[in-house]
Formats: sequence, structure tokens, C-alpha cells
Amino acid sequence: MRSQWKYLALGMLVLALLAGCAKQPTEELTAAQKAIEDAKAAGSAKYLPDETKKLEEALAAAQNEIKTQADKFFITRSYDKAKQMLAQVKTDAEKVKGGVAAKKEEAKKNAMAEQEAANAALKEAKALLAKAPKGKGAKADIEAMKADLKAVEDGLPEIQQLIEKEDYLVALDKAKAAKEKATGVANQIKEAMEKVKGKKK
Amino acid sequence: MVLLTPRSKRNPKISLCLGFLLSLFLFGCSDPPLPPEAGEAEKMAFALWKAEASHFAPEEYRSFETTLQAIREDLIRERSRFPWFQEYEPIAQRLRSLLKQGEEILKKVEERKEAKRLETASRLRELEGRIQGLERWSFHLNEGRLARRSLTKASLTLKEAGFALDRGKFDEAASRIAAAQRHLASAEETLLPILNRFSDRRLLRRWKSWADEAVSESRDRGNVAIVVDKLARRLVLYKEGRSYKTFGIGIGRNGLADKLRAGDGATPEGLYRVIKKLPSSRYHKALLLNYPNEEDRREFQRLKKLGRLPKGVGIGGLIEIHGGGKDGMTYGCVSLEDRQMDELFHLVPVGTPVAIVGTVFSGAAIPLPGEKQSDD
Repeated sequence: MRSQWKYLALGMLVLALLAGCAKQPTEELTAAQKAIEDAKAAGSAKYLPDETKKLEEALAAAQNEIKTQADKFFITRSYDKAKQMLAQVKTDAEKVKGGVAAKKEEAKKNAMAEQEAANAALKEAKALLAKAPKGKGAKADIEAMKADLKAVEDGLPEIQQLIEKEDYLVALDKAKAAKEKATGVANQIKEAMEKVKGKKK
Repeated sequence: MVLLTPRSKRNPKISLCLGFLLSLFLFGCSDPPLPPEAGEAEKMAFALWKAEASHFAPEEYRSFETTLQAIREDLIRERSRFPWFQEYEPIAQRLRSLLKQGEEILKKVEERKEAKRLETASRLRELEGRIQGLERWSFHLNEGRLARRSLTKASLTLKEAGFALDRGKFDEAASRIAAAQRHLASAEETLLPILNRFSDRRLLRRWKSWADEAVSESRDRGNVAIVVDKLARRLVLYKEGRSYKTFGIGIGRNGLADKLRAGDGATPEGLYRVIKKLPSSRYHKALLLNYPNEEDRREFQRLKKLGRLPKGVGIGGLIEIHGGGKDGMTYGCVSLEDRQMDELFHLVPVGTPVAIVGTVFSGAAIPLPGEKQSDD
């Protein structure tokens, strides 16, 4: 009988030692935090804001789980769930980082395509202005349109600078606006040309 | 398993103890599930963050976050307790109340966002209207080219603001609207002083009196008179006080301004006379006017004394009505198509009165872009 109690006490002691000595997943936590920082450094907050926020929330939840387990009675303490959560955060953060690269590439492609379109629209407008009808488009009108195109042209280097600085979204807006304006001027000249043609018939 | 040997069955105390411990591990050590409201509250927090509640309802959002954080800590504390003693109902109640609060904040945020969107869109439309108005005028004014670059920059920046607004980026839109306003102000600085002249009642009366004087002389003496309307780009030849012929004209590079000095590219305003006919001029044929007249000289001296003219600059001269085409921009002269200049040259003798005015044929005062015309 006495030896049975001994075994039981010994078993509980082993259990207590195993549970009580459960180590906090500090390495896993650091790895998950670093993975998030890497994703952010790649631009995740700008290009994938929702996913970045979710990563931060998942990390906070894992930290809460660690805190919960740390406060628990030693026999019932277990960091397995926290470890799983942290591993998931790390995996997700790495995925987000990869996603940022794809998103950035897509944004860059769009910005550059729009920049090219703006350059082409400006070139066309300038060519049209060079042969604009002098009758209808009086010198004052032509000078006004020249000034318009000059303003569009002035903005083009800034678009290139923004692309170089990887600020693709602002570059895209500027290129779109420049393209629309240059196309507008080209259309004005085309209309004037059509009118002149009509008069000559 | 060693403890559950048939030997232990023989001792009821040991069996009881073992049974108790087994129950403890089987049932007591697994945590009860968290209230579902906890997950919903986290989803609500995300929704509020995504809706930019921190920007549109900062105080309410801060209060929500503080409460949620307190509940999170209470949840940790509750979960840390021995499973038998975990009690989530009070926390669930607080979470339900927090969720209700979150829904209200979300509603408020949406309302404020919509108001902000409408306000920004209205500001955009107002500025677009001002830009379009000035763009229209800039096509009528030779000086328009001076403002076009600023106007185009304003228009480009405003387009960018529109794109930002479409994406729901109100702050970005606001900063671009502010930039557009700066470009617009620069364009207005160039154009409004010119346009304002055409809304100046005193000046409009003065111009009319010069035109009336020239036409009266034509009627009284039975000869011809010329009225040049710079804004309407029209030269009207009067014969015996009646309008006889009208010609389209070109004016100075800064033609809508009153000429003050040599080289300003402005076309003078005043009552002049043809003092010489030049049958062979650089610009086909020309009628030389007596610019500067006495009034021009007085004004020149006055401005010079006030230091409003560059040092060493002269008053200028050799203002003519000449050929060369009406679509060009002159240094201050009035230009006509050669064929029409031939006709005018033939009809106008030396001594003919010439009234050059800002406008008399364009109607009353010009409403400025975006302004209503006054009734007085």
C-alpha cells in the first residue's frame, strides 16, 4: 500500500516537472516577429494592408496564448497551441512577403504602361499641334495649347522619379492624368482640323 | 497502467483515488470553449480598422479598443484559471455590449465618410468649374498663354485628387486639392487683373464715352470713324454716324491690357486719330495713330513718379492699324487681313477719329468665371 502511494507521488512529480518546465516559445515568437517585420519592410503595409493587419492580430493572439499558459497552474500548462499559432504566423508572413513582391511588380507594370501611354499621347498631341490649322487655331490658341502640353511634359520626369522610388500608385495617378490631358489637347486640335476640312469642302 | 492492476482493485481507497485523478485529467484539464462573441469582437475590431475608424471616429474607436483590450486581458485571466472555475458569461455579456458599440461606431464612420466624400467631391467640382471658366477665358485672351501652364498643372493635380477620391483616400485627395488650389491661384493672379477690367463699371463707361465721341463726330461732320473693340476682336467703321463695315482683328501679345510703356505688348486704349497713311508698310498697308496722346503721356508720367514703371523705359509709339493677318499677335498694333486692310485704307482719310476700347460690343460687364453678373 505504502509503495503504491510512493509510485503515485513519483508519477505526479514527474508530471509536474514535465508540465512545469514547459518552456515559453521565445524562439518561435522572435521568428514570427521577424517574419512580419520582413514583410513590412518589403512594403506589405502599403500593398497588402489587410493581410498585414491580420498578421499583427494573429501575432497578438499568439502572445495572448503564451500569457494565458504562463498564468496557468503548472500541471495544465502547455505551449503547443502557441507554437502552432506562431508557426502559422511565420508561414503567413512569408506568404504575404511573397505576395507583396507580386503586387509591387503588378503596380510597377501598370505605372510603366500608363507612363508609356502618357508619353505617346503627348507625342501625338505635339505632332498634331505642329500641323494645327492656323486659320481657326489662332496664334493665341496654339500658344495656349503649347503651354498646356508644356505643363504635361513638365510633370513627366516626376512620374519617372516616382517609379524609381517604387511609389507606383502615385506614379500611376500622375501618368493617367497626364495621358488624359494630352489626349484632350490632341482632340481639340483634331476637332479644329475637322472644322477647317469642313469649311474647305 | 501499472496502477490499474488487479491488485489495486482489492483496495477501494486506492481505486477511488485513481478514479478521481483520472477524471481530473480527462475532464478537468480541457478548457471550455471561449464565447463566440470573442471572435466576433475581433472581427469587428478589424472592420473598424479597415473602415479607418481611428480617423473618422477617433474617440469612439479609442474607447472600443480600450474596452476590447481589457476584455482580452480578462479572457487571459479566466483561461488561466483551473478549467472547473472558468466562467465566461460575464465576459460574453460585455462582449455583446462591445459589439453593439462597434456597430454604432461603424455606422457613424460610414456616415462621416460619406459626408467627407460629398464635401471633397463638391470642392473638386467647384475647382473644376473655376479652372474650366479660366481655361475658356484664356482662349479669348492673348495673355491666356501666361496662365495656361498653371491652369493645366491645376487641372492635372485635380484629376489626381479625383483618382484618390475614387479610392476613398480622402487625405490624399485633400492634399492634391490644396496643390491644385496653389496652381489655380497662380493662374488667377495672371488672368483676374485682366478680366477684372472688363467688370469695372467706371472703365466700361469711359470706353463707351470714347466710342460715342468718335461716332458722334462721324455723324456731326459726315465723315468716317473707327471703333476698335479689343475683347470682341472687332473693328467697326462708322460712316456718318452709322455702322458701315466690320472687320475681325488681331491685337497685341498682351493686347487686352492698356498700353503703359514701350515693349509691354499691350494695345493702347483711348481716343486717337489717324495721322499718317502708309501705303507700303512692313505689314502690307498701315494707318499710323497719334499714340501716345496727351492722356497717355500724363498717365505715363504719373506711373513713373509712383515707381510703377521700370527705370529708363519709354512710353513707346508707332501704333498702327495694319495688315498682316488677324490671327497673329502684334506688339500692340491692330492687325487685319490684307484684303480688308486694302478696303479700310481706301475708306479712311488722315484725321479720322479712332476709339480703341476694352469693349463696347461684348455687352455689359463680364461676369468673372464662376461669378454671377450683378444687376446694377
